[in-house]
Amino acid sequence: MISYLGRRASHSILSVIGLLTLVFFLTRLTGDPSALYLPLDSTAEARAAFARLNGLDQPIHWQFLGYLRDLLQLDFGESLRQNRSAMQVALEAFPETLKLAVVAITLSTALAILVGSLAAARPGSIFDRIASLVSLVGASAPDFWVAIVGILIFAVGLGLLPTSGTGSWAHWIMPTFVLMLRPFGLLVQVVRGTMLSALASPYIKTARAKGLPRQKIIFGHALRNSLLPVVTVAGDLATSLVNGAVVVESIFGWPGIGKLMIDSIIQRDFAVVQSTILVTATAIFILNIAIDLLYAVLDPRIRY
Amino acid sequence: MTIITPDIKPAAVPGSGRVLFAYLKRDRLALAAAIFLAIVVIAAVLGPWLVGDAASRLGLRQRNLAPFSLASGWIYVLGADTLGRPILARLIVGAQNTFGIAAAAVFASMLVGGTLGLIAGYSERWYSHLILRLADVVMSFPSLLLALIVLYTLGPSITNLVIVLAVTRMPIYLRTARAEVLELRERMFVSAARAMGAKPARIIIRHIAPLVLPTLVTISAIDFATVILSESALSFLGLGIQPPDFTWGAMVANGRGYLATAWWIAFWPGLAIMLTTLSLNILSNWARTLADPQQRWRLQTLRKAAR
Amino acid sequence: MNRSLHTIAAVVLMTAAAPSAVAQEAAQEIRIVLPEQPANLEPCGTIITNVGQILSQNVVESLTVIDPNSGQPQPKLATEWTSVDPTTWRIKLREGVKFQDGTELNADAVVFSINRMISGKLTCSNIAKFGDAKLTLTPVDKLTVEIKSDRPEPIMPTLLSVVMIVSPKTPVDQAVNDPVGTGPFTLSTFSPRTVVLDAFDGYWGNKPQITKATYVWRPESSIRAAMVETGEADLTPSIAIQDASNPETDFAYLNSETTAIRIDAAEPPLDDLRVRKALNLAIDWEGLAQLFGDDVKRASQMVVSGINGHDDALEPWPYDPEEAKKLIEEARAAGVAVDTEIKLIGRNGIYPNGAEAMEAMMTMWQDAGLNVKLTMLDVADWLRYLQKPFPAERGPNLLQMMHDNNKGDAAFTVPIFYRSSGSYSTLADPAFDKQIDEALAATGEARTNSFKAIFGKARNEVVADIPMFHMIGYTRVGTRLEWKPDITTNSEIPLANIAIKD
Repeated sequence: MISYLGRRASHSILSVIGLLTLVFFLTRLTGDPSALYLPLDSTAEARAAFARLNGLDQPIHWQFLGYLRDLLQLDFGESLRQNRSAMQVALEAFPETLKLAVVAITLSTALAILVGSLAAARPGSIFDRIASLVSLVGASAPDFWVAIVGILIFAVGLGLLPTSGTGSWAHWIMPTFVLMLRPFGLLVQVVRGTMLSALASPYIKTARAKGLPRQKIIFGHALRNSLLPVVTVAGDLATSLVNGAVVVESIFGWPGIGKLMIDSIIQRDFAVVQSTILVTATAIFILNIAIDLLYAVLDPRIRY
Repeated sequence: MTIITPDIKPAAVPGSGRVLFAYLKRDRLALAAAIFLAIVVIAAVLGPWLVGDAASRLGLRQRNLAPFSLASGWIYVLGADTLGRPILARLIVGAQNTFGIAAAAVFASMLVGGTLGLIAGYSERWYSHLILRLADVVMSFPSLLLALIVLYTLGPSITNLVIVLAVTRMPIYLRTARAEVLELRERMFVSAARAMGAKPARIIIRHIAPLVLPTLVTISAIDFATVILSESALSFLGLGIQPPDFTWGAMVANGRGYLATAWWIAFWPGLAIMLTTLSLNILSNWARTLADPQQRWRLQTLRKAAR
Repeated sequence: MNRSLHTIAAVVLMTAAAPSAVAQEAAQEIRIVLPEQPANLEPCGTIITNVGQILSQNVVESLTVIDPNSGQPQPKLATEWTSVDPTTWRIKLREGVKFQDGTELNADAVVFSINRMISGKLTCSNIAKFGDAKLTLTPVDKLTVEIKSDRPEPIMPTLLSVVMIVSPKTPVDQAVNDPVGTGPFTLSTFSPRTVVLDAFDGYWGNKPQITKATYVWRPESSIRAAMVETGEADLTPSIAIQDASNPETDFAYLNSETTAIRIDAAEPPLDDLRVRKALNLAIDWEGLAQLFGDDVKRASQMVVSGINGHDDALEPWPYDPEEAKKLIEEARAAGVAVDTEIKLIGRNGIYPNGAEAMEAMMTMWQDAGLNVKLTMLDVADWLRYLQKPFPAERGPNLLQMMHDNNKGDAAFTVPIFYRSSGSYSTLADPAFDKQIDEALAATGEARTNSFKAIFGKARNEVVADIPMFHMIGYTRVGTRLEWKPDITTNSEIPLANIAIKD
């Protein structure tokens, strides 16, 4: 178990370092950020001073070595834009995304298990066909479009929900719904598929022969054995949830890490880009380990 | 160089075209999806010839013309955009870009990902490990963000958009190809070829690649919808295609500021994206059912089951 | 949009999202929704719109302010100013002013603030307005400061409007997010979601009616407009033309922005005067104006009226496609390579409908027979074309730009655009340079007339740009407020000028 975790962690740390290196050089190639931070009519001198002040006048490999040295001392650099620690900026935004993502993935998984199981219980029924179509629509809908059409209908047209921002519970409805769409759509299909094969397996036939109630067979026996693939897919979806968060947060003005990331990429706020990537990648890495552990819980045969 | 040999039939699809069509007719949803896709593809291919230059002709005095009115001609039936250009014409021309970019990206990622996967699967040299680690890095990070960073570095253009989309989708082909190769290379015919002194490159190209290809083609069909969605999202965020070129995603972005006053500018292209990806997903689901011997009966006895 | 629907929307939203709206009314609090989150609140960056709209004249105050109508500097923290000699100005400060931390405003504090700006130890946007002038400061007595510059600076009092005075306790070598100034409001909260300002009891001037102001930000214009409509917010400084649909709440104001296309006069075929004139003539100006609303003014020069040097008599270029085609044919006959591809370089998000305008202009030029191709760039890439040194193989190009001069004098415009040394200039004409230098050194009537002559020459003889429109901004102001935007709204929203109706 311990050795497994160690191996897993070292792989992940290598990946994160590779990613940070890649992004470091890519972002530095995007050009001089001074143009974005100084007024258009600044003098060349002022630009040179800005570069010196922020260490951007050094050759890029020196900048990189400096970055690694600071990283070892847990110094993640200063935000060019916000005049404060880049890591502080990233850590302030992260919980906002985490809250949204946890709510969205929990709700969509729970809902998908329910809908998928019921659909698999009566394959070919009206419910099954509607569920299949709805899940396909969910998986196919462009999230940005659903978001703006949602604002158009529910906020601008009917005035039932606030347009954007955070605050009351009503602010949660649209972002959560949009973020849930794709995971829900994909998970329903996974649950339905695995349940179908589980229900066709011999032990379910035995249970049925013993005269156990239908509900108990579906939710007690078949579901437990279908959860493994669902957990795998849900874990993969958590990574792509960050994709959704970028879109959803930038449309709904949600002050999370997705919006921060896109803003800081556009603003060439290098230290913040690096910090947000570090935070996101670490979170994904922890999540992956958690999923592996969850496997062990769900399937007693798995031992690390 | 080409690894696509003409005599290979996708293993997943049984029977001839006529049988296929018979199956398709039984599933009305899949039939509708197929018809819709056929119309969109025909429009994308013949569209520019059909609508002429209507998609780019200015009509500054017809700005934001409302839909469902034939007063200005049938081409304005879906309304006009912020520069008074008919939305229907732009949807048709935009389809060409949307499909072209997605097809190029899918093909590129299949080709490069597949090749790298073949190498990583067959060889155990250091570069195989490097390839796998790189795939891990790409996989472990949200693709949209990676795409944003790369597009910001390279500058948004159609070529770069294709490259970025291809890179983010590549690991899937890479891993699938590698997994298949790992299994295939232990088979008798590969060992035989090796014993007869065939070079690794020849074994890979002549013996292994043709067997891996059908799986990759199947994946690419499913991936097409995902790539369309990714491209739309990037164009929507302003980092995809740049004016004067446009795709459906860019059209949605264009109408975003007019939601309260002219909803149709953003609505139609979004609907087009959704119906297209939905049709693709319905069809690939249908194909999967068809390919699975345990499931195929559902299509054969659909009428009975529906009752 | 349906009115009754909106009323329902308002009621529902008030109960769902803004339950405190009623309470706010009693306490004289207002909410302002800005288009963008201020990146930081460093008082040295108040010329940046989203920083200035919060800080300027609210938290920190400047030495002078510009009168929106006349363009002339007016007293603020400075009460008088005299020119001792061409390079020296003597500034008299207001008496009895205290900073929000209790420190007294005196000559030393002013010297401290300006030295902090010019030290180079922190990024200071405002100092850019001084160009590369070197300033030396000396306190003369408790309330008098002497400012020396290394060259004549006839508009020093105007420049002092960007000098924000901060408490001497402010760190010198570090940008701050908690500025302490002399203004009527103190900064009490700055978080990623909101900025809150509270009234400062020890303010030297008249007490403002508003006691508390909360700032939030949303990028979408339609969302901001809806927030004011439903009472989620009281004011938003800029909404898009298509959202400005309610004459009761939406006010148009001429902001100081002028849009234009720069013609790269150094690159053939654009070095030919006939081609440059044809570019101006080929645009359907009336049609293009549809994109920016009925209130925009067609521009003939790069500054708006009210700026010293603006020439009211100068006519903008008309729309004359026949003449444009004729000029292009003449140029072609004279051996000019008019079929060369010309790059039209636009910038994403430069102003509302900016990309649409570029698409439209590209089509119009193509109709006139020019081979124009549009490329949209993001800010940093676009800047490489805007500023010297230009990219080496830039080729013939037209550049979308917007110029904002709200500082009262054409000196903030002319040298950058038209002098051969100017950072945006593609010209190299020693005679024009000399004319510009003379205008910059002149004062009074002579200065005004010299600048007018320069704009006249730029319009008629040089034709190195295509002035488009003097832009209009739209604000939406909730019905319970008494306030009108003006030319300064893009740089400041003084809360002291806002009254609450009862």
